[in-house]
Amino acid sequence: MKEVSRLKRVLDQGGFAVTAECGPPKGADAESILKKAESLRNTVDAVNVTDNQTAIVRMSSLAACSLLKSAGLDPVLQVVVRDRNRIALQSDILGASALGIRNILCLSGDHQSFGNQPQAAGVFDLDSIQFVQVVRTMRDKGTILGGEPLTKAPDLFIGAAANPFGDPFPFRVIRLAKKVAAGAEFIQTQCVYNLDRFEKWMAMARDKGLTKKTCILGGVTPLKSAGMARYMKKKVAGMDVPDEVVKRMEGVPAKKQADEGIKICVETIQRLKEIPGVRGVHIMAIEWEEKVGEIAERAGLLPRPEEDAVGSKE
Amino acid sequence: MDSRIATERKEQAGKQIGAAQGRKRTLALFYCQNTPESGEEQRQALEKRHASRLKLFPIPCSGRLDPLHLLKALEEFAEAAYVIACAEGACRYFEGNLRATKRVDMAAQTIAQIGLEKERVGIVANSRENPKPLAKLAEEILDRTSELRPSPVLERPRRGKGTKEKKHDHSRKKTH
Amino acid sequence: MITAERKPIDEIRAMIAPYERVLVLGCGSCVAECAAGGEKETGMLASTLRMAAKMEGKEVLIQEKTLDRQCVKDFVILLDDVMDQYDAVLSLGCGAGVQAVAEMFSEIPVLPALNTEFLGETREQGYWVENCLGCGDCMLHVFGGVCPLARCSKQLLNGPCGGSREGKCEINPEVPCAWQAIIDRLDRFGSLDRLEQIYPPKDWSRKQGGGPRKITREDQQR
Repeated sequence: MKEVSRLKRVLDQGGFAVTAECGPPKGADAESILKKAESLRNTVDAVNVTDNQTAIVRMSSLAACSLLKSAGLDPVLQVVVRDRNRIALQSDILGASALGIRNILCLSGDHQSFGNQPQAAGVFDLDSIQFVQVVRTMRDKGTILGGEPLTKAPDLFIGAAANPFGDPFPFRVIRLAKKVAAGAEFIQTQCVYNLDRFEKWMAMARDKGLTKKTCILGGVTPLKSAGMARYMKKKVAGMDVPDEVVKRMEGVPAKKQADEGIKICVETIQRLKEIPGVRGVHIMAIEWEEKVGEIAERAGLLPRPEEDAVGSKE
Repeated sequence: MDSRIATERKEQAGKQIGAAQGRKRTLALFYCQNTPESGEEQRQALEKRHASRLKLFPIPCSGRLDPLHLLKALEEFAEAAYVIACAEGACRYFEGNLRATKRVDMAAQTIAQIGLEKERVGIVANSRENPKPLAKLAEEILDRTSELRPSPVLERPRRGKGTKEKKHDHSRKKTH
Repeated sequence: MITAERKPIDEIRAMIAPYERVLVLGCGSCVAECAAGGEKETGMLASTLRMAAKMEGKEVLIQEKTLDRQCVKDFVILLDDVMDQYDAVLSLGCGAGVQAVAEMFSEIPVLPALNTEFLGETREQGYWVENCLGCGDCMLHVFGGVCPLARCSKQLLNGPCGGSREGKCEINPEVPCAWQAIIDRLDRFGSLDRLEQIYPPKDWSRKQGGGPRKITREDQQR
């Protein structure tokens, strides 16, 4: 049976896509990631598997995706350019496709100084935009960088990340345009707390015609506590957490803060659904994957279209 | 050699060694020529009065001081090497005294790395309202540095292979 | 210029410990500019090492000398007359200087007193910053005179990454975001549209492709 990207199918058919994130373990155990993924089955269209996120050594994203694939889920292989040169990157693309993985997210990656191997050499042979271009060329032209032909082209739905809140302001949409020009077919954004600002960014993206060329999925992360809200506001680069959100979390007793965080998340998703050009949501509930189901339920995202239903519309 | 000895034993040892070698403890003092009563006559008189306890080096501004001057002094003859500068804000060349402070600090860090007490170098800023004359400051600094144990750099007599020949005669350092 | 910083004194002392006659050799070029290995610093280091030796009761000859440049054979050769007086050289040159001296006087150990760091500029007195990687394929004309390889922590040719905060790099708030600088610069020239194109992957073979690099110029040779 030919492997297909469920995520691509849902988007092609005009549906509002739902993806979630899953971090591989800091060890060689297959069990933990399979367990996390189990809680996401039938809740999301595809599962992103992070690639040594924050430069902390974890099981490789490719291996973890392969495990999820065997379990019948649709993984999104996240690949950072920090750790591999162009030879290794292209090689992994071929391997991923051979294993039946059908979605890829091309990223720069957090600098190695953030993680638990700060003495490592950061590779950065390609940047994320060049990488998108390379994958696109491998898929559509069947050649590697430099033009040499492949025996079989990889089959992947290609995505990139975007941060509406980082970057120098005049540049945000130019960068998005570059990613789309390079070949990004879907975009997952940094998590959104400031909806007004996000709406402005979406308006600029629409004006530039980008929402017709790519599928933008708005990112969301449920806050667990007021402390988390404050931390993300102050300490995490490229994040915009408005004061009202922090105050809202602080205005609720500690025991109820997690619930409030989920409530805010659900409201955010509901607002995202209303914004023209937003084609889906990407739920990043890191180390809180068990809540994704509840969030999806309350935001009216369930049930996800059935496999057959997805197929039969063709 | 580099073990720290208690104060009493320090004094005893100091006296013993000093007596044994007949070596005087010399303080090298680099002073800004803007210091009151620090002309050539007064300098000579002071050196005469204190004999080998004090060696004075006039500089046109404390900012002219190089950390090397302090190190060379400690290396060759001085128990301690100090700088007299003008009060903050009173430097004729505006920042000389500020630079001197940083350089003295650097010299202190350097000697600490080889096990010498940081107090062997220092900088004293004169008072702004009532600047003291050179003689008074010299006495204060002599007093301040008297507690230092005999310098382990100077203790051992030089034998055989020596150090680099002195290019400069420290007893009459020229100002430039 | 090439920048360097002096190794900790303890490390240097351990390096010269086996030797009895040491030449402390300074350099009047780059390392003098960054106050690490010039005549002054060489004098200070030699004096400090002599004091340390005296305190240990060690008999050792430590003398200093400073060359205009250590990385040019014509200067290094001036040491020929004096080299037999020493059994080791403690060089305050950059890595290039240390090796050039070692190349000329290969029978005598040449030890590095400095840690060589980067190619950079003196931005202000007492403040040096890295700005060139020596990639062998300069693109500064494209990026408004700001190198995205040397000055962007992730070496992005299609930056910025989105992690910068108030014009500072996400890895360290003291590091300016190179891409912020590039954007500001090109904006001033009215050439921001130049950044809409996708710059292809860097040709790293110009830096690493043939192993350690060399330049040969027949017209400069005798």
